[in-house]
Amino acid sequence: MAEKKEARIGVFLCHCGTNIAGSINIKEVQDYARTLPGVVVSDEYQYMCSTPGQGKIVDAIKEHNLTGIVVAACSPRLHEPTFRVASKVGGINPFRFEMANIREQNSWVHMHDKEGATAKAKDAVRIAVAKASLLEDLFPKSVPVEKAAIVVGAGVAGIQASLDLANAGIPTYLVEKTPTIGGRMSQLDKTFPTLDCSQCILTPKMVDVGRNENIILKTYTEVEKVEGYIGNFEITLRKKARGVMTPEEAEAKGIVGGGCNGCGDCSGVCPVIKGNEFEFAMAPRKAIFIHHPQVVPNIYTVDFESCIKCGLCVEACGDKKAIDLEMEDSFEKIKVGTAILATGYELFPIEKKAEWGYNRFENVITGLEFERLICASGPTGGHLVRPSDGQTPKKVGFVLCAGSRDNTGIGKPYCSRFCCMYSLKHAHQIIEKIPGVKAYLFYMDIRSFGKMYEEFYYRIQDEGAKFIRGRVANILEDPKSRNLMVFAEDTLLQRPVNIELDLVVLASAVQPSPEADTVRKLFGVSKSADGWMLEAHPKLNPCGTTTAGVFLAGVCQGPKDIPDTVAQAEGAASAASIPIHVGKVELEPYFAQCMEEKCAGCGMCVNLCPYSALALVEKEGKKVMQVTEAKCKGCGTCGGFCPGGAIHMQHFTTPQIVAQIDAFLLGGEQ
Amino acid sequence: MAREKNYGNPQLENKLRDRYYYVDDTKPEFLANVEKIGRTIAHMCYQCGTCTGSCPSAPRSSYRIRLFVRRAVLGLEEEALTDPDLWLCTTCYSCTDRCPRDIAPTDIIMAMRNLAFKWDIIPRNFLQTVQLIYKSGHGVPNNDVNRAARERLGLPRDPPTTHAYPEFIPGIQKILDHYKLKENADRMLAEEGK
Ligand SMILES: Cc1cc2nc3c(=O)[nH]c(=O)nc-3n(C[C@H](O)[C@H](O)[C@H](O)COP(=O)(O)OP(=O)(O)OC[C@H]3O[C@@H](n4cnc5c(N)ncnc54)[C@H](O)[C@@H]3O)c2cc1C
Ligand code: SF4
Ligand code: SF4
Repeated sequence: MAEKKEARIGVFLCHCGTNIAGSINIKEVQDYARTLPGVVVSDEYQYMCSTPGQGKIVDAIKEHNLTGIVVAACSPRLHEPTFRVASKVGGINPFRFEMANIREQNSWVHMHDKEGATAKAKDAVRIAVAKASLLEDLFPKSVPVEKAAIVVGAGVAGIQASLDLANAGIPTYLVEKTPTIGGRMSQLDKTFPTLDCSQCILTPKMVDVGRNENIILKTYTEVEKVEGYIGNFEITLRKKARGVMTPEEAEAKGIVGGGCNGCGDCSGVCPVIKGNEFEFAMAPRKAIFIHHPQVVPNIYTVDFESCIKCGLCVEACGDKKAIDLEMEDSFEKIKVGTAILATGYELFPIEKKAEWGYNRFENVITGLEFERLICASGPTGGHLVRPSDGQTPKKVGFVLCAGSRDNTGIGKPYCSRFCCMYSLKHAHQIIEKIPGVKAYLFYMDIRSFGKMYEEFYYRIQDEGAKFIRGRVANILEDPKSRNLMVFAEDTLLQRPVNIELDLVVLASAVQPSPEADTVRKLFGVSKSADGWMLEAHPKLNPCGTTTAGVFLAGVCQGPKDIPDTVAQAEGAASAASIPIHVGKVELEPYFAQCMEEKCAGCGMCVNLCPYSALALVEKEGKKVMQVTEAKCKGCGTCGGFCPGGAIHMQHFTTPQIVAQIDAFLLGGEQ
Repeated sequence: MAREKNYGNPQLENKLRDRYYYVDDTKPEFLANVEKIGRTIAHMCYQCGTCTGSCPSAPRSSYRIRLFVRRAVLGLEEEALTDPDLWLCTTCYSCTDRCPRDIAPTDIIMAMRNLAFKWDIIPRNFLQTVQLIYKSGHGVPNNDVNRAARERLGLPRDPPTTHAYPEFIPGIQKILDHYKLKENADRMLAEEGK
């Protein structure tokens, strides 16, 4: 702790255009600030964050020999770093800066009460000055960054992010919970608006992942535990028992030239038949299986829930000795510097909107089921058929916003963003494949906002798709023909419609999967009100999170199509590579410190610390607490608890906090 | 306010009348009243038509519930309250079940009917219903066909309502008198008879 100097504080008020000045009397607060103990200069400016605004701080520090700075402006989340730098440039320790939020917590919420807002701004400034008078010089600790990254989820987002990281020379663990990489995109037939085949553009990337020396692919694996912090995450992976060994794993066990080569002899003999989840159970698989021919890695997997352990596959595999029916889950600890979450989405269970009859009426399907049925490598070889009778449908309806933009509490309030476009694509696909087919799209708005998207909409309309502006109210089934009666209003005609269709495709809303939520919590990432992972800033930091070193890519952050997903993945990869390339990160110096002369060595704080940052050690024949500074997050749990008051929380010391409370309650008359 | 065109021929005038929507023709307080009486968020309607698509009355008439919600949002009070379709809602609540915005369109209609009553706009069958309730406690009183059907089902000829307990009728009358419903219904039917 530095020697005590008399406090000389500078206060700077920001107008933020009219954002603050529109509801707070800046002049009044400025004059008031001058009367506060310790304040030697009180200034204001239109935009304190601008170059001239910051210049005022720099100049004032020099001119008035300031020991502390208070800026009353927006949230510290936005500009604390800006003003810390300005303080440093002016020649004082950046941690001698304190921010008073008079925008988000004041002018924006008290827009119509100028008097009240001005009084509250005075309180905020007074409290900040009280703290600034007691601030001390602090020095951030810099820690080395592990030169490796983890990407969780191997859909197109995770694949792209891993390839970018790997190509930038960073060893990257790509962790995928299913036996293969590819995610949803590998289930799609064609992709809007260019209509190129999804597999054809994805498979080369998947193969690259398999080949890239810097990518350590971990399929059928989940994140079990996350410890540490930016630069030094220690992650425990659970490798689920796959029942089949890769050639490398076999070799490690001394089986030379063995391991799975993807020949499939095993599944040929397996007697157990199950629904293939990749095909939404519209095609079978065995208990030992691959989901589709393009899987990466091309290694079989045993579904131990349905395996009867007859051993036929082991026999069929022969000398390769790849199958181990007694395999158990195994664990591995890895160390990485940064992490990217790319856990994607699943469909909202659309049967919850009972009026559309999904699961009750066989000929009502989801958009993803449609993709498999229209796909040449799908269960019907690309022939779209009615599930009830295998006939080719002649009249197909597409229900847009199925479960999206729904405020009833059953569906999702947000727009799922890609369903308008893929429904247009679906209409095109049936018009192309089925002569004489009629496609009806029931829509409220067509959101074709992307590059070449409106043109795509034009094209599909030109191809003859019928657009009915109205949301489908309900669907009934004719029990004999299994045809569907679709009820809606054509709101442009102002007429209720009842159209009999052969097949109905629900453009179901999307939602994060429950496993994705588990990972989110392990990495300490928040979620927004809609359930998707929360970015650090919706506009200025869409790939970052509030956990340093953890980034987001793809739909896990909110619905987005493939172009947006890939763009965000590249952004996240770039952001995640920065600390690794710099090689070290600075940690905010808000550590707990033990005042050893006061510490009784009771050790109760050690168990309380949520980050395992504390330990008891012997020093000069006495037990005292010791802090691992890199692990401490400055949460203050120990400091608040310590019965002897032996823990000093840097930047949030007891005298500082008491001074703030006094300043508020006593109006500055300490 | 329809702007005058001065064709000098009332029929042509009407045919070619100005159908623009003028903001000063609208009453924002109409929306406020509808929302207050109906206790629902009419202003959140995005005109999807799920309500009309669900409505059993719509395919049999020119009644479009969605249109009434629109009129509420735009404050088109006169257009809404003078439209005879207002009285074609069966109050089945199908639209309320399905509205994705969680609005209760049925309650919007009920609120509008309330407001229309203040303007003396109410079809005669509704007025007769008031008189019937006043007399018997029932909008649709029991009749011989129903009585026979009830007997066949092994039920008492009259249900356990005011039909079986006529001593409760004065209580019902007191409520109707309090709101001057009977008085107004009698008056309007008499005026209509003139
Ligand atoms: C019917 C339909 C048609 C579409 N058509 C198009 C189109 O034509 N054009 C277009 O641009 N977009 C289209 N899309 C959108 C497209 O699917 C998405 O933009 C894209 O798949 C998003 O990729 P992602 O990597 O973010 O997510 P996903 O593809 O969902 O990948 C996420 C991956 O993470 C894995 N994962 C999840 N949780 C965990 C965990 N806890 N641990 C490890 N791994 C985990 C999953 O198994 C999965 O492999 C369509 C969507 C649908 C529903
Ligand atoms: S993308 Fe289109 S269909 Fe999907 S929720 Fe949004 S508006 Fe509705
Ligand atoms: S269903 Fe609801 S949101 Fe849709 S038009 Fe009717 S009232 Fe409006």
